[in-house]
Amino acid sequence: MSSRGLYILVVLVFPILTILFFASLFREGVPTKMPIAIVDLDQTASSRKIARNIDITPLSTVTEYLQSETEAMSELRTGNIYGFVVIPKNLQADILASRQPEISYYYQNGYLIVGGLMQNDLTLILHTLSGGINIQKREAMGQQEDYIMAQVQPIQVSTHQLFNPTANYSVYISTIVLPIMLQLFILLMTVYSIGIEIKEKTSHEWLRFSNKSIFTAITGKLLPYTVIFFVVMMFQNFMLYKVMQIPMNTSLGWLMLGSLLFVVTYQAVGLFFIGLLPVMRHSLNLSAFYGILALTLCGFSFPIDAMPPVFQYWACAFPVRHYMHIFQSQILAGFELKYSMISYLYMLLFLLLPLTIINRLKSALIYQTFIEKVHNH
Amino acid sequence: MKNKDINITGQIKEGFINTLRIWMREYQLIFSDVGVMVIIFVVPLIYPLLYSFIYYPEVVRDLPIAVVDLSYSTDSRQFTRDLDATPDLKVATNSISMAEAISMFKNREIRGIVQIPETFSKDIAMNRQTIISAYADMEFFLYYKALMTGVNFVALETGNQIQIKNLVNTGLTEQQAQITAEPVKLVDNSMANQAGGFASYGIPAALILIIQQTLIIAIGILAGTARERHVFGTLVTTNRRKMGTLRLVVGKGAAYFTIYAMLSIYILGMIPQWFGYGQSADLMELIVLISPFLLSSIFMGIALSVIFKNRESSMMLYLFISIPLLFLSGIIWPLSNFGYVWLVVREIFPSSNAIIGFIKMNSLGATIFETRREIMSLWIQTGVYFLAACLAYGYQVNFSAHLRSELLTHSFREIRKKIASRI
Repeated sequence: MSSRGLYILVVLVFPILTILFFASLFREGVPTKMPIAIVDLDQTASSRKIARNIDITPLSTVTEYLQSETEAMSELRTGNIYGFVVIPKNLQADILASRQPEISYYYQNGYLIVGGLMQNDLTLILHTLSGGINIQKREAMGQQEDYIMAQVQPIQVSTHQLFNPTANYSVYISTIVLPIMLQLFILLMTVYSIGIEIKEKTSHEWLRFSNKSIFTAITGKLLPYTVIFFVVMMFQNFMLYKVMQIPMNTSLGWLMLGSLLFVVTYQAVGLFFIGLLPVMRHSLNLSAFYGILALTLCGFSFPIDAMPPVFQYWACAFPVRHYMHIFQSQILAGFELKYSMISYLYMLLFLLLPLTIINRLKSALIYQTFIEKVHNH
Repeated sequence: MKNKDINITGQIKEGFINTLRIWMREYQLIFSDVGVMVIIFVVPLIYPLLYSFIYYPEVVRDLPIAVVDLSYSTDSRQFTRDLDATPDLKVATNSISMAEAISMFKNREIRGIVQIPETFSKDIAMNRQTIISAYADMEFFLYYKALMTGVNFVALETGNQIQIKNLVNTGLTEQQAQITAEPVKLVDNSMANQAGGFASYGIPAALILIIQQTLIIAIGILAGTARERHVFGTLVTTNRRKMGTLRLVVGKGAAYFTIYAMLSIYILGMIPQWFGYGQSADLMELIVLISPFLLSSIFMGIALSVIFKNRESSMMLYLFISIPLLFLSGIIWPLSNFGYVWLVVREIFPSSNAIIGFIKMNSLGATIFETRREIMSLWIQTGVYFLAACLAYGYQVNFSAHLRSELLTHSFREIRKKIASRI
């Protein structure tokens, strides 16, 4: 029946579509030209110069020049701009008279990336402008250039990004979200492929085919999915490391091993779920709950070390968290194997999970005691 | 003439009663199904709490760093103490070599390294610019942010003190020196999420998504279950005489709308209040935004449900889209950087506009007028999905009615065979 369509969609079509979606969405790596506005109440040469300087940074672009702060605030609330700068009246005169005028800037901090970038960008531009005025004054006093720099900015911070040269959002996001998407498909498919045998009462036939060995039955059932999901994951790696050019500092062999381990680990978790709750609707709900929660508890959005302790332990129960460590340490940074060894061991531990429910699952397959009560009218 | 009038009022009355009957029957279906109850009640109750507790600390505090102090002077020790005093950073160790620091970094004992140069103290004394090196952990955006915030703050403050001290030494007053160092005062105004707390970034979006996704999955489960129960695998039963499409769609919709209107009070009203997320919107504003959101999600769910052949189908085929939807909303990646295709795809799902609208109203204090774009889009979606739901159900109703009439002339097996070949 139509179930063949379901298998193809969940195993191939949807995983590949999501890979293409994330690759395409973050194509630019870093947001550019985010719209901002300027409220210039001064309208002098100085204020226009400030406006021009704000406009030339790549991150933001001035799309509107507005008359009042109220108007700009309304535009910000409407969502037409992500931030704005208010240049006060008499700016030029106040600077000349050393009256320390105030420049206020506002930005939408309700969105994570936009808020952070806007704050950095606007703070940096305006600090540079303020420093520039200081420098100009000192130059007028006849001070030397080296001397001025040492006076205006006695301590300079030079930033180095350890072991990851790219400040690129696709490195942050796609590399973790794609495995999270894949684990969801693997979990659901594993539970479904076994659960449907119980639900449709075909599990006897399945066991008979496997000489009544539960190990043969399960291996035979899951192996084709292992192969397909492994191929999908390698396609994902190809997109990440070849097409999107995310640095890969490990050998192809290790990458393949890590990917295979990822697929098998999640199949083991799926198997554990259907064994634990042989009624498919319950084990599917459990998989959904666990699979969606991985986005939060793998610690890619909010670091695990900063979570309350109880969740720090809970986070260890997600293979994707250990996979993320391996990715960051071995693949991205190129650290020696010893630093990611513990994560490999954690992942291997998940493979033992099905052993705890294998008897329960076997009796569910044989006695079919977990059939849902569906009333046939 | 009079006769006709009675006929029309009679029809309206009958339609109303039928709709009410379908509405009540839908309640009965929902409340007698444990799986659906879990999706509709347990998930929306538990998830918002769970997320709120996980993100409860909101920001990264006391990020452990190593200071590699090559200067080893009074000035550098003061600088180290100042770093430790920031809320963002905690100096875990400060008397080690760069090699040792890197090894600690690889072991994840520290999350950043600050190197103070050998000439630090001498540079300051001789009025030379000195350079501090900060090595940031790029694994986590928030770690990087914490390190840069802390180090830049201390460098700027210390530098400012040095500049002012030097200016005072040349004969300026304290105030003159301060104005020379800072000719323009900069005022930073962070809107919507002043503290930059992580929960306030993510949770409003999650709340809206939970509503839409549980609705669509639950409607899908019940549709799949109906097909499993009915003899010929039809969505609409063949047992009774033809039921009105409009009555079915409206009756079902009313059942979900009433349940989710109640749930919304908890999810969108109580949760933000308990955990201190933005609550600028008043009840009226929220009703104006959330009503078309619920309606469009419900009708989208009803329209989509006709494709789910089994009880499990909606979970298998629709759940995964929750994560891409979070990104499509525009709260993570700015909409100004979306490709054209994704801007269009984004408009398919009610959650996109509802998330942005909800954040605008509740966190930024936008009025109904300032949220008009989102509200309008949601009403358009409501209209489109209502029509889609009627068309999809209308087809199913006619199909079942057709089967019913065929039952009179054809044998049971014949019809089953015919349906099997169709699917």
